[in-house]
Amino acid sequence: MEPAGPPAAPARVVLRRLAVRDFRNLQRVELAVPPDGLTVVGENGHGKTNLLESVYYLELLRSVRGARDADLVRFGAPGFHVAAEVDLPGEHRVASRAVGVGFERAGKRKRVRIDGAEVPRLSDALGALPSVIFSPGDVVLVAGSPSERRRYLDVALALTSRRYLAALQAYRGALVRRNAALRDAARTGRGEERATVWEPALAEHGAVLWTERRAWVRRHAGAFAALCAAIGERAPMRLRYATALEVDGEDSVEGARAALGAALAAKRPLDLRRGLTHAGPHRDDLDLALGGRELRLFGSAGQQRTAAIALRMLEAATLRDHVGSAPLFLLDDPFAELDARRAHAILALLGDAGLGQVLLVVPRASDVPEELTRLPRASIRDGVLDA
Amino acid sequence: MSAIDDLAGELSKLPGIGRKTALRLTYFLLKQRPEQSRRLADALTTLAERVRPCAECFNLTEEERCSVCRDQRRDRGVICAVEEASDIGAIERTGEYRGLYHVLGGRLSPLDGVMPEDLTIDRLIARVRGGEVREVILATNPSLEGEATALYVQRQLSGQADGVAVTRIARGLPVGGDLEYADGVTIAQALSARREM
Repeated sequence: MEPAGPPAAPARVVLRRLAVRDFRNLQRVELAVPPDGLTVVGENGHGKTNLLESVYYLELLRSVRGARDADLVRFGAPGFHVAAEVDLPGEHRVASRAVGVGFERAGKRKRVRIDGAEVPRLSDALGALPSVIFSPGDVVLVAGSPSERRRYLDVALALTSRRYLAALQAYRGALVRRNAALRDAARTGRGEERATVWEPALAEHGAVLWTERRAWVRRHAGAFAALCAAIGERAPMRLRYATALEVDGEDSVEGARAALGAALAAKRPLDLRRGLTHAGPHRDDLDLALGGRELRLFGSAGQQRTAAIALRMLEAATLRDHVGSAPLFLLDDPFAELDARRAHAILALLGDAGLGQVLLVVPRASDVPEELTRLPRASIRDGVLDA
Repeated sequence: MSAIDDLAGELSKLPGIGRKTALRLTYFLLKQRPEQSRRLADALTTLAERVRPCAECFNLTEEERCSVCRDQRRDRGVICAVEEASDIGAIERTGEYRGLYHVLGGRLSPLDGVMPEDLTIDRLIARVRGGEVREVILATNPSLEGEATALYVQRQLSGQADGVAVTRIARGLPVGGDLEYADGVTIAQALSARREM
């Protein structure tokens, strides 16, 4: 038997090297990242957020801020490239992986390589660098429109469920086609059958989205309330999946499919008048409430920030369950607007859950919370990183 | 515009041919003897003049009716509906099918403005109403749009002629394929369409 070594460190995803070319204002970044992580200090507008966005691009293969790929290319450059070497702990040993994404403005072409081999379908490379990004902009998850919350659910679930990702793509495809057919039916006054033929696909794939979202919310609602309380929120916070769809008995995909098919048929007259599909998971929402009142309308800025951070922590937990190790934490000045007590509580919670490697960016060195002062420092100025 | 640009421009409209390949083909033709170019031009002209859709099934033919429709040995009680005439070749190569065809001329694609009236669905219904047909096999592609097209045709056919079976080609694992490498959607389809042995 082998001698027992020191207690194993909690498994975590480790970004070892990062190379960025012509991404936003980052002309060229070559960075060896220490195992625990790195703090990058830089004034606003010098590229801190761009750095985190470039890393997260390897996870989502698109901009976390919703920007078009062509707009991510540094001004005057023909394209951008982001590459990383990553350690992914497996069951028996740590697997190293090289991930690279390039985009050419001229051909509007995006190419992903994993360990040198080109990935034929982008969706196969999704989630290549398991990571979660916390940023001040996250408050839109709570204060923004329902589409922000649906996007949050879609990202968390698509990154951790192949079935969800496939259903999401098929659902969106069927939805745009049904809407186009509805508008054509309204314009020409011809039969509605041309719209109804897309409904079986909407019901089939929509049922998967609906049941997986409901199951996720049911699994995490308790943790959400507990996280908000632990961060320092006194009134009880509640997380619920808001949907107009009613399914008899236990949630099953078959039951949801039948209910969704019926709901599509019931709304069809309205749909034909408006040229839009009114029934389905693309109209659902995450309902966040504080003591029974809608957080979006009645929450203070601090309460909304707390709920948004709790949602990101749930996202991290979902990734951790899927990958089997802590994801990379990309922290974009996450404690701005929060009092020191809440900031400490959040870091303690992250630590309890097994904090992964951290990339923290802050405007001033004095913004680094006590718990993270041990991280090595780098600075960024005009898109140039000085490590 | 020069003659060279003219031809390269036309060639680059073809599928799979970009600007560079178009120019390479153009210069290649310039190096050949002039008869070569003339034969190509004749072939193109003949193609456009002679080939037309079959009056019955819309397969491509140089006659009034295509070779399948004219063949008296084929089973006139079965019609296989496909998206494009090029799909017929794939089915014919199997040698397994002895019925007739119907080319729909595409598939429902509302995003490209392709609606039911742009396909030959009305003509298919008319053929089925003719009385000889026992079965219509819907062999559109197993894609989102192919499935919707099949469903549309099925609904239009239902109630048009009693006793006509409307069937859909099966989906599942490719023969000689490896279960391990098949994608999840295909395996799920194959499982749900399993049959007793």
